[in-house]
Amino acid sequence: MIPSFRTSVAAVLYCASLVLLATTPVLAQRGSPEVGLSIEKTAYLKFDILVEPLEVLSGGQRAIDHAEKVRWTIDQDLEYSGYFRVGRDEEEAEELNAQFAIEGVLEGPLPDTVTKPEQAKSVLTLRLVSYPERQVMLDKRYGPLPSQLRASAHHFVNQVVELLTGEPGICLTRIVFSRGTGDRRDLYVVDYDGENLLRLTANRTLNLCPSWSPDLSQVAFTSYTDGQQGIYLFETATGKVTELTATEGLNLGAAWHPDGKELLVSLSKDGTPEIYRIDLQGRVIRRLTHSPAIEISPCWSPGGKDIVFTSDRTGTPQLYMMDEMGANRRRLTFEGQYNDSAAWSPSGEQIVYACRIGNDTRLVQISSFGENRRILLDPSWRSCEDPSWAPDGRHVVFASDRTGTFKLYVLDVVEGNTRQLTFGEEPDVTPAWSP
Amino acid sequence: MTKGQKISQQMLVICGLGLMIILLAMGGCGKKEEPVETDMEVPTEQPAPPVIEPEPAETETTPMPAVDFAAMEPAEYGIEDVFFAFDVYDLSSEAMTILSANARIMREHPDLVWLIEGHCDERGTVEYNLALGEKRALAVREYLTSLGVPARQLRFTSYGEERPFAMGSNESAWAQNRRAHFANP
Repeated sequence: MIPSFRTSVAAVLYCASLVLLATTPVLAQRGSPEVGLSIEKTAYLKFDILVEPLEVLSGGQRAIDHAEKVRWTIDQDLEYSGYFRVGRDEEEAEELNAQFAIEGVLEGPLPDTVTKPEQAKSVLTLRLVSYPERQVMLDKRYGPLPSQLRASAHHFVNQVVELLTGEPGICLTRIVFSRGTGDRRDLYVVDYDGENLLRLTANRTLNLCPSWSPDLSQVAFTSYTDGQQGIYLFETATGKVTELTATEGLNLGAAWHPDGKELLVSLSKDGTPEIYRIDLQGRVIRRLTHSPAIEISPCWSPGGKDIVFTSDRTGTPQLYMMDEMGANRRRLTFEGQYNDSAAWSPSGEQIVYACRIGNDTRLVQISSFGENRRILLDPSWRSCEDPSWAPDGRHVVFASDRTGTFKLYVLDVVEGNTRQLTFGEEPDVTPAWSP
Repeated sequence: MTKGQKISQQMLVICGLGLMIILLAMGGCGKKEEPVETDMEVPTEQPAPPVIEPEPAETETTPMPAVDFAAMEPAEYGIEDVFFAFDVYDLSSEAMTILSANARIMREHPDLVWLIEGHCDERGTVEYNLALGEKRALAVREYLTSLGVPARQLRFTSYGEERPFAMGSNESAWAQNRRAHFANP
């Protein structure tokens, strides 16, 4: 389960210079390795950290088991973040030359060991300390603990990541996607680490292309009623589904504006697929494209001022940019005969998209200026589609059929590590990472 | 499920229930088994038996509306699907020939409504393929209307790569799946 970090420091530094170039395209000449430009990102650093067994003060064997589960979750979260090399004992810490350690205490009976809830006064204390000095840098207490051990561990690691890197932790994020085949695909949601798989829809039809609202309260998605496509809103708190728009023809590609008050969609109600801004009542705010071609896959820039989208106005699908009024249009991709599914990174600096090469679709990363194109995974991955960024700007979830069936995988775009997120026989497609 | 299918299923359910009642009346209790259940789930392909009596009617006056098209698949009228090249939604000359024949049949049945489904092969992205399927369906609709088929007779939708006709990751399967398919609305 836990990916091994084969990457050497040299490779990390190489990646660092690559990304450095990509993030400063105005200053850096294409291809000239101008390292030394100031960059305050710590994303390419690797922290060495010791995760110690938790001290268990009371609660018996069950508490010991739970403590081990907490430790294991912390360990995995740190690995998944991409920023850490984890040592599990002092010897490993020595080897790694660890600068940090995580220590913790679990005390009190756990809820399932007692009969009355008020007796369940277990408290989990987690600390980040310098190593070997053990100066406390972060001290968190969680409790009284219900069955939130994993969530507590996730929360703590988020705090650690944020403190050390300045980037948000992603341990409490989730991924919504579409699972199934033929006449039926349902929306599912899963934790970022593959736990807690949950089905959202059961309406015996195709449900596709989900998209989180910025406040996570809703998921917009495409579905069919009597053969007619529509975009629907799924209320995450209640499971209630309401129709957003179901005009004749295509109703696709809902992308939430960062302010949560409007969406970009593709509708063909005026003849051919065009991109519109619509409000939460489904009313058109503005039509942004006017062409006889296919105009789809819109995605807002993180600031909500620009839009990257797909158009086949030149005969092949290519990525374009425009502003929020549909003006200042320019073509972004020139390589490849088939480019689609652009996903704008949370920092606004990178775009990952799907590019067809041969019979496969590959993931490609470019800067938001269209420069520094690089293919992300080797051909053994076969077709990779529908990339979606994690809020940390480092991980991308996507669907790949490398096993013969589309399943979801997570890619660390900095180091190139991958891990499989979903399992099972049915195809999983169109993932969307929660903000 | 389409409206037509719904209607025909409702009919079948009614038939099934009627049959049940008759059987019960005639044969007392009979055998209490599931066959009654299966009766109700008769697949839609089977023309619903007694309800429809459209009288093949060469008189061609006013055939019974609504029920008609639910009973017969477009292919049974001689309507044929048309196929496309990869990432293409323009009609080939072959497709146009087929559509001309389709248009003639459609004009002969001014009361019928047809659903044009756009389909794609599995290559490419889910979303783009939905749009591509849409363009294929629209191209077909446009051509049919140019041949005098009233637009109100034509509905369209896209299933992209979601409902392949042929399984397999090879050109012959892909070619089968790049099509505009005619179905009951």
